[in-house]
Amino acid sequence: MNKQKVENQEDPLSSDLNQNIHVLRSIYENCSDLVFRPFVIGGKTKAFLIYIEGLCNIEEMNASVLSPLMDESAAKYDTLNELLENKITVSKAKEVKTSTECINYLSIGSPLLLLENESIGFAFGLAKWEKRSVEEPTAETVIRGPREGFTESLGVNTSLLRRKIRSPKLKMNPMSIGRYTQTEVIVAFMDGIMDPTLFEEVTKRLKRIDIAGILESGYIEELIEDNPFSPFPQILSTERPDVAVSSLLEGRVVILVDGTPFALIAPTTLYSLLQSSEDYYQRFLIGTAIRWLRFVFVLISLLLPSLYVAVSTFHHEMVPTTLLLSMASSREQVPFPAVIEALVMEITFEALREAGIRLPKQVGAAVSIVGALVIGQAAVQAGIISAPMVMVVAITGIASFTLPRYTAGIALRMLRFPIMILAGTLGLLGVMLGLIFIVIHLCALRSFGVPYLSPMAPMKFRDMKDVLIRAPLWMLNTRPHLTGKFNKYRQAPHQKPDPSQGD
Amino acid sequence: MIEKGRISALQMSLLIYANIVSSAILTVPGITYKYAGRDMWLSPIWGSLSGFFVVFIVYQLNKLYPMETLIQYIQHILGQIPGKIVGFFYLFFYLYAGGTALRQYGDFLVGAFFNRTPILIVIASLALASTFAVRAGLEVLARLSDMFVPLMILLWIMIVLLLIPELDVKNMFPIMENGIKPSIMGAVSPAAWYTIFFHISTLFPFLIDRKQGMKWSMFTVLAVLVTLLITNLATLLLFGGITGSFVFPFMSAARYISYADFFENLESVIMAIWIGGTFIKMGLYNYVLVLNTAQWLNLSDYKPLVLPFWMLLTLVGIWTAPNLPELAHSLSVTGPIISHTYFIVIPVILLLIAVLRNRMRQKAGKP
Repeated sequence: MNKQKVENQEDPLSSDLNQNIHVLRSIYENCSDLVFRPFVIGGKTKAFLIYIEGLCNIEEMNASVLSPLMDESAAKYDTLNELLENKITVSKAKEVKTSTECINYLSIGSPLLLLENESIGFAFGLAKWEKRSVEEPTAETVIRGPREGFTESLGVNTSLLRRKIRSPKLKMNPMSIGRYTQTEVIVAFMDGIMDPTLFEEVTKRLKRIDIAGILESGYIEELIEDNPFSPFPQILSTERPDVAVSSLLEGRVVILVDGTPFALIAPTTLYSLLQSSEDYYQRFLIGTAIRWLRFVFVLISLLLPSLYVAVSTFHHEMVPTTLLLSMASSREQVPFPAVIEALVMEITFEALREAGIRLPKQVGAAVSIVGALVIGQAAVQAGIISAPMVMVVAITGIASFTLPRYTAGIALRMLRFPIMILAGTLGLLGVMLGLIFIVIHLCALRSFGVPYLSPMAPMKFRDMKDVLIRAPLWMLNTRPHLTGKFNKYRQAPHQKPDPSQGD
Repeated sequence: MIEKGRISALQMSLLIYANIVSSAILTVPGITYKYAGRDMWLSPIWGSLSGFFVVFIVYQLNKLYPMETLIQYIQHILGQIPGKIVGFFYLFFYLYAGGTALRQYGDFLVGAFFNRTPILIVIASLALASTFAVRAGLEVLARLSDMFVPLMILLWIMIVLLLIPELDVKNMFPIMENGIKPSIMGAVSPAAWYTIFFHISTLFPFLIDRKQGMKWSMFTVLAVLVTLLITNLATLLLFGGITGSFVFPFMSAARYISYADFFENLESVIMAIWIGGTFIKMGLYNYVLVLNTAQWLNLSDYKPLVLPFWMLLTLVGIWTAPNLPELAHSLSVTGPIISHTYFIVIPVILLLIAVLRNRMRQKAGKP
């Protein structure tokens, strides 16, 4: 299909201006946003300026193209090149020779200049459209760290990366995906750090994509991941340039997509989903402690309701007596078995969370008030839910929000439900079995050839210093090993600061 | 080769370690106390000799046929037809051993925690989990052991550390009151566990770092020895003369722990170790069984066998014994004999034949 389109429009421009205009008009039939501006250069040569409204800088175009060319003095230059050299004050001008090129330049916002008796035209780099300015990313906030985030426009995003990595080793490989949207996608990587086979694999998978349009990087993620049925994200998405840059410097590939602030990072592991950029910006002891807090809360968010259900239904002997008594007395009123209670509460909580995201902000307050009633004291007083269950659900909810990546948190939240049902039927055995099945799945999962649980399984002791703990920066001398060949050392050894050093 | 995955020697060690230790720490203290009494902590040391010996024999066989598992080289050593026949007996024994391990797991869980759950559910669910792991391949199995075994070891260490204040050293004296014989008698049953090291014969061809294989295997025997020694010692020092009255002394020991009225009832930790460990154990048994059967039948893939063997293992787990006392009896009486026959006697004979054949071939080649 793509190929056919290309063949139809691969015709070169003719030297007849009217013919060219006719071709363009027929291609852009019924496109009211395309503007054809006829004018005469220096009073003798007929010419057309063509642009798409709203995609280019009109003031600049008037000042540097239209007014110098319409000036009387332009008459003394005959050829297009002379005009360009002497009259047109635009720094970026490209020759176009075919109507395909014309379409490409028009669609990215470059105004096009076509002249009578010339079979070439000029496209000027005067694209300008309304875009959001660089703002703080809302989904990944930090207390300490850069406050800039990617935006919807690709050019801004690449410049954000380039401003952080000034080395020419940062390579950016463009590609356009989508039959109709022709979305520009850039694969960025560090030459000499990344394993070249990884880049080949990424481009191979990207080239396989043939869909109508790419609206968000999620489309790409879904079409290039390793296991499409897994609930776990196998590609990290981030809004933060500093996260993208640190991944680049570890030898990963960053995929930037035009039209979305979310960049994709591949390969990724489960543990990188549990890390925040801020771990590295604060003192390493605190970073380590917070990592361990997250590990604990991952387990809590996955298992706590199931454990509560299993213990309170089947394994009373495991609870200390006084706790058991208070649990039993609060459960006395409740008409449902614990597993039903847990499911009802967890589903309500998920509904509240979803409603809180989608609703307009003005209604949000109402939802949170009602929500506090539903999963709160009112539910307990009505005798429908026991008080410990409210606490369990609340702790679980908080736990799943401690994960810095929303997508990872939502995967764990979804997996909670089957385990709850297992806990309600088989007790702790069911919980263990559910856990075993999840770990089997995680062990079998790979992201671009990298085992999802590495460096814990398979064990790579050298890489654990950045997973089990956040080792101080002067100890992180080696990069994590992803696949194949890699550039092992990222910094000079023996950088531990010490008053006696450096006399 | 059917299996394309490669594992490291460390992963092999973890697989074997979990296989032995997960069930041994529960049952070995009780059995050894029955024969060795106060010298029960010595028994794992004597028993480990058979572990070292098995590793040595398997390593020698593997040196002669580096890229093959037992089922394959047995046909080179004994000839095609006798090789297939002996191979079949091995497969049948693997099936029996896997089923018995499942049954032990089921009996323990049903007896200690899930009194009203049908044993079929307990057995079939774990067998299903191991089936999924095996279907995903050897590498995934090895990664699973990477995830579970360190946790198991940590939990075990935690329990032993928490027991320390309760221990009484006087319980182990006098050492060797009746000479060395009781402790050697007690070693017979642990020795059967050590012979499980034989399964490295299936894993050796898939090692990345084969040169390390022998070293790591020997090291693992030592690790198992230390684990069992400490477990036996801890239960003995805690319970003294009444050790024998518990079916699962180490679990009873864990039940004994209580700190601050909160940190108690740690038998659930034992259950977690037991389920996780048995999962790894069944994963390895299942894998060895399925892979070797595929090799015995000259199949190009073992995955079609995985589900049928799930059912077979579950059934054998149910059929293997009518009840727990029968199972315990057969494990302590015939178990050591069978496993020593299959894992030591036959391999030694195989090794001798292989070495003799090589000599004869060399002699025939010389003149």
